[in-house]
Amino acid sequence: MTFRQARWDEPLIWELGSAVGETPPPSIPTLPDRLRRKRPVRWPELSELEVVRHYTRLSQMNFGIDTSAYPLGSCTMKYNPKVSELLARRRTAAELHPNQPVETVQGALEMIWRLEKALGKITGFPEVSLQPAAGAHGEFAALLMVRAYFRDRGELEGRTEVLLPDTAHGTNPASAMMAGFQAKEIASKEGCIDLDALRGAVGPKTAAFMLTNPNTAGLFESQIVEIAETVHAAGGLLYYDGANLNAILGVTNPGRMGFDVAHLNLHKTFATPHGGGGPGAGVLAAGERLAPYLPVPRVAKRGRAFALDYDRPKSIGKIKAAYGNFGLDLRAYVFLLSHGEEGLKAVARRSVLNANYLGKRLGRFLPRPFRTLVKHEFLLSGAPLKAKGVRTLDLAKRLLDEGYHAPTVYFPSLVEESLMFEFPETESKRELDEFALAFERAVTDTPEHLHAAPRSLAVGRVDEVLAARELLLSWKDLRGRPETFEAAAPVGSGP
Amino acid sequence: MLSELGLRDADELFTDIPKKVRIGRLGVGAGRDEIDVIRTVDKLLDRNKPYSKFSQFLGGRITTPFSPAALDAVVSRSEFYTSYTPYQPEASQGMLQSLFEFQSLWVELTGLDAANASLYDGATASGEALLLCRRIHEGHRFLIPASLPWEEKSVLANYAAGHAIRIEEIPFDARTSRLDLEWVRSAVRQGDVFGALVDLPNGFGHLDEGLPIVKEALGSVPLVVAADPLVLSVVEPPGAWGADIVVGEGQGFGLAPSFGGPLLGLFACRRDHLRMSPGRIVGATRDQEGRRAFTLTLQTREQHIRRSRATSNICTNESLLALGFVVYASLVGPHGLAQLQARLAEKARTLATALGEIKGLMAPRFDAPYLASFALGLRSGTPGRFLDLLRRRRVLGGYPLADPRPGAPTAEPLLLTSVNEATDEKDIQRFVRSARAAVATMTERP
Repeated sequence: MTFRQARWDEPLIWELGSAVGETPPPSIPTLPDRLRRKRPVRWPELSELEVVRHYTRLSQMNFGIDTSAYPLGSCTMKYNPKVSELLARRRTAAELHPNQPVETVQGALEMIWRLEKALGKITGFPEVSLQPAAGAHGEFAALLMVRAYFRDRGELEGRTEVLLPDTAHGTNPASAMMAGFQAKEIASKEGCIDLDALRGAVGPKTAAFMLTNPNTAGLFESQIVEIAETVHAAGGLLYYDGANLNAILGVTNPGRMGFDVAHLNLHKTFATPHGGGGPGAGVLAAGERLAPYLPVPRVAKRGRAFALDYDRPKSIGKIKAAYGNFGLDLRAYVFLLSHGEEGLKAVARRSVLNANYLGKRLGRFLPRPFRTLVKHEFLLSGAPLKAKGVRTLDLAKRLLDEGYHAPTVYFPSLVEESLMFEFPETESKRELDEFALAFERAVTDTPEHLHAAPRSLAVGRVDEVLAARELLLSWKDLRGRPETFEAAAPVGSGP
Repeated sequence: MLSELGLRDADELFTDIPKKVRIGRLGVGAGRDEIDVIRTVDKLLDRNKPYSKFSQFLGGRITTPFSPAALDAVVSRSEFYTSYTPYQPEASQGMLQSLFEFQSLWVELTGLDAANASLYDGATASGEALLLCRRIHEGHRFLIPASLPWEEKSVLANYAAGHAIRIEEIPFDARTSRLDLEWVRSAVRQGDVFGALVDLPNGFGHLDEGLPIVKEALGSVPLVVAADPLVLSVVEPPGAWGADIVVGEGQGFGLAPSFGGPLLGLFACRRDHLRMSPGRIVGATRDQEGRRAFTLTLQTREQHIRRSRATSNICTNESLLALGFVVYASLVGPHGLAQLQARLAEKARTLATALGEIKGLMAPRFDAPYLASFALGLRSGTPGRFLDLLRRRRVLGGYPLADPRPGAPTAEPLLLTSVNEATDEKDIQRFVRSARAAVATMTERP
């Protein structure tokens, strides 16, 4: 496949038109002089066409799922159905203020209630809250619930550690730190939890053990029952990171596996768009022990009506404004309605089949660490390429030239030069075969070509070291440095 | 595909999952086709009454802005909304440049040195600011206004929970809602204060004229200002009066409230504190041909690299809303933003003046400047009853400010009332008529 991205010499927006003069903003009688802005906001005055064309051109210099497949391990970049976009833009969904009287938002509350119930069934937990803004936010909230739980039991002073495997997502140890725990990593064995190492690590200091299953090596932790017993025997709680739930939908669930609390990412498993990095939507699902600590308000059904329940004395309170990312929750609800029981089970089968099929095809070119029966994703090691002076990063950039997003690289770190691939269920066999051919072209290309990649995109290889050294983070920092960072054809004088 | 794997059945791909943890039916019902999904969801959504069906006065941190059609046209470009985090800069120049423009705009509005590429919402941005203060300055005490909305207090308490932090509330003047700066000075003199947060407008919707001298009371203690971006189009940037961190809620820039999410957390700080600050940051650089290019930078602060020593756990942010924010400001223009704020201030003044003539109402409750919102006080009756009576006349008159949790300390019953771009003379008249009738009803039958 020949691929070439648009390459506009598109100026920065303030280079498109000059800012307003030095006239101060209009006088507002109720605004005291002491607070009044002395000079106007320096931003260009542009026509609608100028703005639309600018951002349309920028959009043409961006990969999205609709243009390119994303084999990004652990990120589950599946197709975002258009019907969800249509429905989320309804006035009956978009034009709702969170502080409207509950009588005027019964449909919204019922949708939240229904989605929470369905996600409870999927996770195997009695209670669910949609308040977190994203996955990591859900981790943080769950660990605050763990804190509150141990405080109530008088054990918080002693239980200061959160354990996690060395393959854990970076958000896990970071969330532990944010919630005031010490994160302690446990070395894996053959890509999975080393039960002996875990037994040696748990104890009276253990507050929780955080685990994603299947893990980030794409492997199902088959000893999950023993893991749960070990953590619980030490008085700790078991936390489920739901980033990889796609592979086990309808096959097993965190409640059945013995977990106490979980977060899910609606922008992964439930097909809400990633938006260039966000918004996402996080879900908190809790078992009996932690459910009383979920954030308020909870959506409650009272007779035929729905209400916001604040009467939760043990609740940790609020973790964000309003009730969660409703616009995304609605899209996830649409995904659930469309798929239903059989559809969700097919998601797991199809995504696992995709990973195993592609793993087998790509395994001809680079070694696969650990066992080859994987779930939704698999790892390759780019280490053999080092002999010809090629790094995993070069291979990733070369794949961009084929019109594919790069896989996740250098994670998890226990595999040298690792590449992590995940093609969710929405990608066809044809796409997988095309990708395998593209991968073959890339991995067998000359070191010169690999080092020079990418050559088909809006820009060539970007100098990230220079960015970190110069720290040019806004238009202010670019001023006075035109010779270095000038666009091809600046227009106007800028702010 | 199965045969190429030497398998007969997809179930063979799940032999690594022990029988003991297998589940049977999910019980979530059968799948539906698209027409049925639309019918089902619309039936549910039709039970909502969007605020546009009322004369509505909802606002505060989350507002009900008018959104120019071009805004949705841009953020609906699927190259933007279906894209991943721009970790591969060469494939993501469009989003990266847009975020660089967004950061530049927030830097301009706040008068600070650098902004990040967004956080979840205004409330969590305040939480992250609190944690940054803790890294900048010694101490265990963090000061916030007693008038801060209860939700934000609760979020801050959660961000502080794991870090031996005591949050203390700055008292305010009962007549003007102005913060007691003498109290702040004395708190700082006592020592152990590592930061303070003030808000603009405050939780009552009013502007505190004392804010420009808060930093004098704090000295070297870092100051966080939680500011409304539209207000910053007409107010002197907090960076100019000593703010070290400026956070805010950006949803009001043309982004639909969608029952409160997704929202847009705004965050800017001083250059000295950048390396300790949370969230993704976009920087300008060059590609190998020497052309200007953009990339994520200072990633060594972030969770995927620094893990338990990261400055925050945030990964997913609100990039698409950040794009919407900068598109909105560019469509409306700097002059347009200030004029919009001036129009809202004029409408709010008209409304408050008319409501203030009703015996039984205090409009505004505080003797302090305001722009689009103000606190409405009731001399008798409860905010809940008052709002119910208004709603029967198709008026949403605002919302109660009290903490709804049982056992919360009782506060003066106040409403937050706001105007918006769609508010017209008829809306104001209807509110005033309905309020007069409601007050009469509450006086007759309390």
